[in-house]
Amino acid sequence: MKEMLRLVLTVTIICTFAGALLAGVDALTKDRIAEVKQLKQLNAIQDVLPSCDNHPDVNICKINHGGRSWCFYVARKSGNFVGAAVETTSSAGYGGDISLMLGVTAENKTQAIAILGQKETPGLGANIETDNFKAKFADKALETTHWAVTKDGGDIDQITAATISSRAVTKAVKKAIDVYLANLQTIQETGK
Amino acid sequence: MQFWKELIKGLWEENPIFRLVLGMCPTLAVTTSLENSLGMGIAATFVLVCSNAVISAIRNFIPSKVRIPCFIVVIATFVTIVDLVMAGFAPALHANLGLFIPLIVVNCIILGRAEAFASKHSILLSIADGIGMGLGFTLSLCILGTCREILGAGTLTIWQGLPQITIGGFQPMVLMILAPGGFIALGCLLALMNHVQAETAKRKGKIIPSPIHLDCHHCTICKWGE
Repeated sequence: MKEMLRLVLTVTIICTFAGALLAGVDALTKDRIAEVKQLKQLNAIQDVLPSCDNHPDVNICKINHGGRSWCFYVARKSGNFVGAAVETTSSAGYGGDISLMLGVTAENKTQAIAILGQKETPGLGANIETDNFKAKFADKALETTHWAVTKDGGDIDQITAATISSRAVTKAVKKAIDVYLANLQTIQETGK
Repeated sequence: MQFWKELIKGLWEENPIFRLVLGMCPTLAVTTSLENSLGMGIAATFVLVCSNAVISAIRNFIPSKVRIPCFIVVIATFVTIVDLVMAGFAPALHANLGLFIPLIVVNCIILGRAEAFASKHSILLSIADGIGMGLGFTLSLCILGTCREILGAGTLTIWQGLPQITIGGFQPMVLMILAPGGFIALGCLLALMNHVQAETAKRKGKIIPSPIHLDCHHCTICKWGE
């Protein structure tokens, strides 16, 4: 009985110390981590948008479409709509979800994409992060482009040996474009 | 003197990967490129040194029946601290290594050294052991990562931002950066290391030593068991 008490007490003391230490470190780093996260998202938004003079990360248009909420970051230059960025995901990746940021321009063309998160196979699917592949989504007409990989009869060249990952990215982009086109008016009016 | 001995034993004599064959899960998972190997090695070394020091400091306080949970709590605490501090103050590094940091908790080299060394030796020697084992782990990971990246991707990236070296002249074997390639590369390197060791021992006229701290005597499969 006495020994058991000693065991329990030791583990409790060590865990208490560890918990207190972690709480302290968390309190010290929490704000910094949030800041870094926000900066990262802002960078991703700016990477895919044409040049603007407002703050697209606060000029947000929330849209409910197809059972989920979409968040469009709207960019303006001297008051005029120049483009919008939207985060989109696809669960059809080889290693789980692929999330990316898509930017479109006022001329109804894509501007660029930025991959935010992916767990694809290194050396194969992970090549969706290369500039070479991302460039295939730049400067394409939203309505007339057939958003599918060449293997499925579309206009996007897939990466050799990484069709599934390429297809997932294309799907995510297409989903976002559909939502954008369906809500064009609302998005372009935001922050006017 | 003993400090130095404990420090260098991790590099060759008791190399965690090639001699003790510990920590195979992170080894096979992260050695797809030199950059990842280096990052994992550095992060694991840091946690290993800290956890060895703390466990050695509280070794007389922990009853042996609950030592494993106590070691795990200490290790997990350090891993979380590394994770949080890195995310807040070195976001670029964290973006590189973020994936591997939680993996360090289950790295059995760290628990293994806590159990086999830090819980029986003084703080100074435990720190030396941690540094040596950490460097040995990092070095082995880098060798494996270099082989796999060159063969599998035809490139060599030392660190993000530094120029990438392209090794041309052959078609990269993608297999080498996938899971099977990890086993193949590890097996070949293990065989090479054992061969080198056997040859050096033969030349000196000694019998091949089995790794210290490894109980080989109950097993007769290899020559160490005799």
